[in-house]
Amino acid sequence: MKFNKESILQSIGDCKKSTPVKISSTVLKSVFRWFILLSIGYIVLYPLFYMITTSISTKEAFLDPTSVWIPNSVTLENFTFMYKVMDYGAALLATLRIEMVSALLEVFTCAIVAYGFARFKFPLRKILTALLFVTILIPTPMIVMPLMTNFSKLDFLGILGLFNKISGIDLRPDLLGTPWTFYLPSLFASGLKSGLLIYIYIQFFKGLPYELEEASWIDGAGPIRTFFAIAVPSSGVVILTVIVFSIIWHWNDYFMASMFMDEGYPLAVTMSKLHDLLNYNGIYLSPEKPNGLAYVLTGCLMFIIPPLIFYLIVQHWFVESIDRVGITG
Amino acid sequence: MKNKKLRGIETLKSKYGLMFVSIWIVGFVLFFFIPLCQSVGYAFSEISIGEKGVQTFFVGFQNFQKLLVEDPDYTKNLGSSIGQMVYSLPMILVVSLVLAIILNQKFFGRLFFRALYFLPVIIATGVVMQLISGKVSADDQMASTVTQNMFTVEDIMGVFNLPAGIATTMQEIISSIFSLVWKCGIQIVLFIAGLQSIPSSLYEVSKVEGATKWEDFWFITFPMLSRVTLLVGIFTIIELFTDSTSPIIETAFAKMSVGIYDISSAMLWFYFLIAAAILGLVVFLYTYILMRRWD
Repeated sequence: MKFNKESILQSIGDCKKSTPVKISSTVLKSVFRWFILLSIGYIVLYPLFYMITTSISTKEAFLDPTSVWIPNSVTLENFTFMYKVMDYGAALLATLRIEMVSALLEVFTCAIVAYGFARFKFPLRKILTALLFVTILIPTPMIVMPLMTNFSKLDFLGILGLFNKISGIDLRPDLLGTPWTFYLPSLFASGLKSGLLIYIYIQFFKGLPYELEEASWIDGAGPIRTFFAIAVPSSGVVILTVIVFSIIWHWNDYFMASMFMDEGYPLAVTMSKLHDLLNYNGIYLSPEKPNGLAYVLTGCLMFIIPPLIFYLIVQHWFVESIDRVGITG
Repeated sequence: MKNKKLRGIETLKSKYGLMFVSIWIVGFVLFFFIPLCQSVGYAFSEISIGEKGVQTFFVGFQNFQKLLVEDPDYTKNLGSSIGQMVYSLPMILVVSLVLAIILNQKFFGRLFFRALYFLPVIIATGVVMQLISGKVSADDQMASTVTQNMFTVEDIMGVFNLPAGIATTMQEIISSIFSLVWKCGIQIVLFIAGLQSIPSSLYEVSKVEGATKWEDFWFITFPMLSRVTLLVGIFTIIELFTDSTSPIIETAFAKMSVGIYDISSAMLWFYFLIAAAILGLVVFLYTYILMRRWD
């Protein structure tokens, strides 16, 4: 008897056809899979749906037990009220001006630094990489107080302080309350969770082929030109991942902003003070007046709508790219 | 001649490398290393904020002594944080691994579910999570938080016709699933990336050899994921410890905002040392016990 490829494939095909048990087990499996995914998906999406229904229903519909998911009567009153309470427009602008600019700066500088770590050999590289990990491990609350005192009199490594002692002129600027407390760390690749972003970049850059870079070296391009002409165009995937992470983390950051700013707070800080703001406007959350909850949830929805829209736009590329970035190394 | 030139290029390249990294070195020193040292200093000293700015007096271990001996809340909060972590860590790892394995299979609607399961990362980080779980201010007796509304005890009793005791436990389980799944977003992504890196030839071999799916998991997937699991574990421990809803961080922030820096520094440093110790212990146990078994 002769065995060739076709006959083996044929017999495998026969086996598959002739076993109805297998088919029913795959159906069972996919039903089971869908059941698990949908039920946990329900848990994931529940708060979002709950926020949406609550925010668009009128007070009567919110308290009415018969209207659960689709409210009996719809209104936008919650939104207009919360827009005023949160000073939404100004806060949104502050978020864009402070947090988003620093997020994009961070995406850029972290790429440069990671390129140096991943593609060049230089003395102390191992020690510096170890220090990079330390920055990932130590949470920012640990260093926020000294940072505040330093920002109030920014002293570039003692240079300006020395100048002050010699000449008596105090050039040390007070940066507290200005967006520079966010821009400066981002410019030097040590902003919000920069260590993690650099790490993601490094893992990706390590996997790039060397041939292209060598060609560009031979053609006489310098390191900066090589970085912009070769490395950046071929790492769209990882840049997108880092942009998503950086923007989301900056959007949600309220701790640093509440520490460094005095006024003109970004949206996240407004959210963390939502209860006080509501109390100030005469709305108290109590078991007797459950419609206060509707205002809180409307505020939450208004806070997550911009990043949600952003995520819905990029998720198509983002979800697919996550496999190829190789974060795990 | 050739060697010399090559070395020339190597030194040139190392200079370029340092040039790229120097941006970060400046940032690291200015915005991380110096503040870190100052923060250690704060923890060991008494701070007064006067007209001349911040003044510090070295007092040794007095702050820590105050915390551990005199403050009754601190040790209690420390215990509850550690307990919470010991309980959440394995749960998060298991749940996210199971979900990642399911999401990594090929089936209809896979991309949709992947996008869906990453959603918590966008919504749940930070303030919104605290607001909807009613944690922002403890003195406001919120009528009902969102998670409690999801399934009320009466619902469960009505639908499944169960006695009250079982219904209450079910509700607790559901709301704890909620908070677990909402913490799993990044972990799922990391695990999926790890699963993708396992060569499919291994599974083909095991199929030829007649291994079951269960054996596939324990002898291929789990060992091949060991590094990723360690990474996810470390990441989860850090996330859990730096979670701003943790009572210790909350009290430390509250003290900071009134200007008490010394005690709150000591609070955070002791907390962080415990966290680092747990992290070290987990990494040690994992690498030396589990990895050795597979060698």
